[in-house]
Amino acid sequence: MMWSRGKKLGLVTSLLLVGGSLGYLALGNFGENLVYFFTPSEVVAFTPDYYHKKVRVGGMVVKGSVKTRPDPVGMTFQLTDGAATIPVTFKGIPPDLFKEGQGAVVEGYWSKAGQFHSNMIMAKHSEDYMPIELRRAGVELPKKDFMKTLRQ
Amino acid sequence: MIIEIGHFAVVVAVVLAAMGMATAVLGLQTRNDQWVRVGRLAVTLIFALLTVGMGSLVYSFLARDFSVHYVATTSNSKLPLFYTIAAVWGGHEGSLLLWVFILSAFSTVAVWLHWRTQPALMPYLIAVESLVMFGFLALIVFLSSPFERLFPAPLDGRDLNPLLQDPAMTMHPPMLYMGYVGFSIPFSFAMAALFSGRLGEEWIKLTQRWTIFAWLCLTTGILMGGYWAYYELGWGGYWGWDPVENASFMPWLVGTAFLHSVMVQEKRKMFRVWNLFLIIVTFSLSLIGTFLVRSGVLTSVHTFATDPRRGLYILLFLTIIIGLAFGTLMVRGSELRSRIELDSIVSRESVFLFNNLFFIVAATTVFLGTLYPLMLETWQGSKVTVGPPYYNAVFMPIALGLLFLMGIGPNIPWRKASVESLSKNFRNPLLVGTTCAVLLFLLGIRSPYALAGTLVVGFVATTILAEFGKVTRMYAQRDQVGYFQGFLRAFAANQRRYAGLVTHVGVLVLVVGIIASTIYQTEKVVSLHVGDEFVIGPYRMKLLDIHEVKGPNWIGQEGVFQVFRGERLVTELRPQKRVYTASQTPTTESAIYTINMGHIFLTMPEVSPEGVAVARGVLNPLILWVWGGGAIMGLGVLLNIFRPRTRGE
Repeated sequence: MMWSRGKKLGLVTSLLLVGGSLGYLALGNFGENLVYFFTPSEVVAFTPDYYHKKVRVGGMVVKGSVKTRPDPVGMTFQLTDGAATIPVTFKGIPPDLFKEGQGAVVEGYWSKAGQFHSNMIMAKHSEDYMPIELRRAGVELPKKDFMKTLRQ
Repeated sequence: MIIEIGHFAVVVAVVLAAMGMATAVLGLQTRNDQWVRVGRLAVTLIFALLTVGMGSLVYSFLARDFSVHYVATTSNSKLPLFYTIAAVWGGHEGSLLLWVFILSAFSTVAVWLHWRTQPALMPYLIAVESLVMFGFLALIVFLSSPFERLFPAPLDGRDLNPLLQDPAMTMHPPMLYMGYVGFSIPFSFAMAALFSGRLGEEWIKLTQRWTIFAWLCLTTGILMGGYWAYYELGWGGYWGWDPVENASFMPWLVGTAFLHSVMVQEKRKMFRVWNLFLIIVTFSLSLIGTFLVRSGVLTSVHTFATDPRRGLYILLFLTIIIGLAFGTLMVRGSELRSRIELDSIVSRESVFLFNNLFFIVAATTVFLGTLYPLMLETWQGSKVTVGPPYYNAVFMPIALGLLFLMGIGPNIPWRKASVESLSKNFRNPLLVGTTCAVLLFLLGIRSPYALAGTLVVGFVATTILAEFGKVTRMYAQRDQVGYFQGFLRAFAANQRRYAGLVTHVGVLVLVVGIIASTIYQTEKVVSLHVGDEFVIGPYRMKLLDIHEVKGPNWIGQEGVFQVFRGERLVTELRPQKRVYTASQTPTTESAIYTINMGHIFLTMPEVSPEGVAVARGVLNPLILWVWGGGAIMGLGVLLNIFRPRTRGE
């Protein structure tokens, strides 16, 4: 029962072929499927090649800004990081923990008209929310907490 | 007082774990059996002490002793009894204690069970198990103690996360941990084989039942997690490629590869290094899974930890265990080359090889998608996520490929298959599969994955049915009995193989359920007043009333919906919007009606002060096949574990 060359070659070739195509499948469109995370300040500074790209934006829902609409079910609200505020149009049902004055992460795209369109919101309890300008002022710890509350 | 007893017991257990390692090593060096006996005693005592530790924690929960910090953070005086017990593992500290408690139980059973037959491997088994227990116990005692007191004691607890107050969720962590920890036994035996140089097939045969038992627990745990997500989270799905789900899925994928590939070593003495590699990876991924969920690296419903030292500690511990395992494998690897090689590409061996390849690619995909965002954040500071579309795109083809191999593998001969046997075995099944797909196409099904899935499922199902039919007839004729008796006798005659086929049937049922409930899910979101109605699929839902409801630890609103099909009343559904009073956490409770093995799933996520309700209806066809398939898989595994012992076992 020794190896014959042809058999070995055949096996290795077919393994490589199948493995390669599976690997291509796994890695080929990996980059396109990454959804990057931004803050409202970064979003307002978007260059046009970021328009209509799927991104996630984390911030605090501005108190008193949430307006629901019945058809199609959804709402509009303002999302802020302290330095910049963006208007968000949301279609769908927000999660249970979504609340004004609390942290939320929205997934969707930024349009040329300066409007964020989203159909997915993730929310967390975030009593330890700290506006982001503090972080710019050099307060490191609150930033971590802020990110933590937003991370899903 | 009681909690201090538990604390003390666990502290003593740390010392005993260190002793277990030391005595095992001493026993090896001095070749003195007495040391190993002391090691066995240490392992057994650890189990006894951890039982005391768990018991004291359970007692503190039941006594509602909120002066214990952990009790105060995860329970509340109004929490029902059932969930009060489950709250023991409702947080980080208690989960870790449960983890190592299960580990100590398994280690003790393994040491006593294999003591007589495997004296030479015992010191290694004791050393490895003690090392893992030591790592976890030290973490519990020094960085993550559930026994700490809180001063001054609060009047009441903060309550268990309402989302975790669900029957499936109470059993989900223990099952998952039994799976993770169960893999530590084959891992330890593999390490014993590596260290001792007894590198034959012995450790594989010894641990076959352990492996499959661990796999059963892990599978059940994962399915329970899906079940919980489906019934409790109210979004109408059961799998979201959440990092926490992925953490348990990775060891499952490699563990599944392992329990298939060991068969090749048993039958053909091949894949020796590969099998050691697979079990090391499986157990490493079990540890990584625990690490990911319990360190606070990922933050979601399951994650409680915030202390960075914990993460650092677990990382260090992981590095030691994984480094030790792979280091030994590399050193010993050269002695392991099997002399027997593959005869032909068209053989069962090579099907197993491809099966492994598919599972490894699948696990790598999940690993990459779960850990790449963490690495990127660590190194570049930018945050990314990898969304479900990525996983779905990769997993659909992989799943189809694996299913196809599932039809081929059991029916292709070892060593070398002839063209005639291939065509004889597979022509009819392929024909049946194709016919099913064509029929569905004519019925109007156009999704390529649904059609391809049907083809492959039809193919595999036919191979299995054909084999059961054949052996049933054979035994019925040979013994002159009825077909049912014949089937039972055939099954008993080769129970290991047929139990495996039963599990495969479960997989098929599960896959049909997943395809139907994923591709043919219908969803509708509307807002409506009392008296309004909306249409979803063939059903019409009318909101009759919204009223207040109250539970032991929550208050809420309940919508009363009547579901009609045409003019016929099908059922009444009552979804709720709850607020858990202690934590002021709102939750959405779904209402579900089962029809034709599918679900009408209704939630009412919002009720405005003016009485306008938002309702979300989901139709999930054949969703029961998902859970049913899981149950059949479990049945197959149980039939395997409790099969009568055959010669050579």
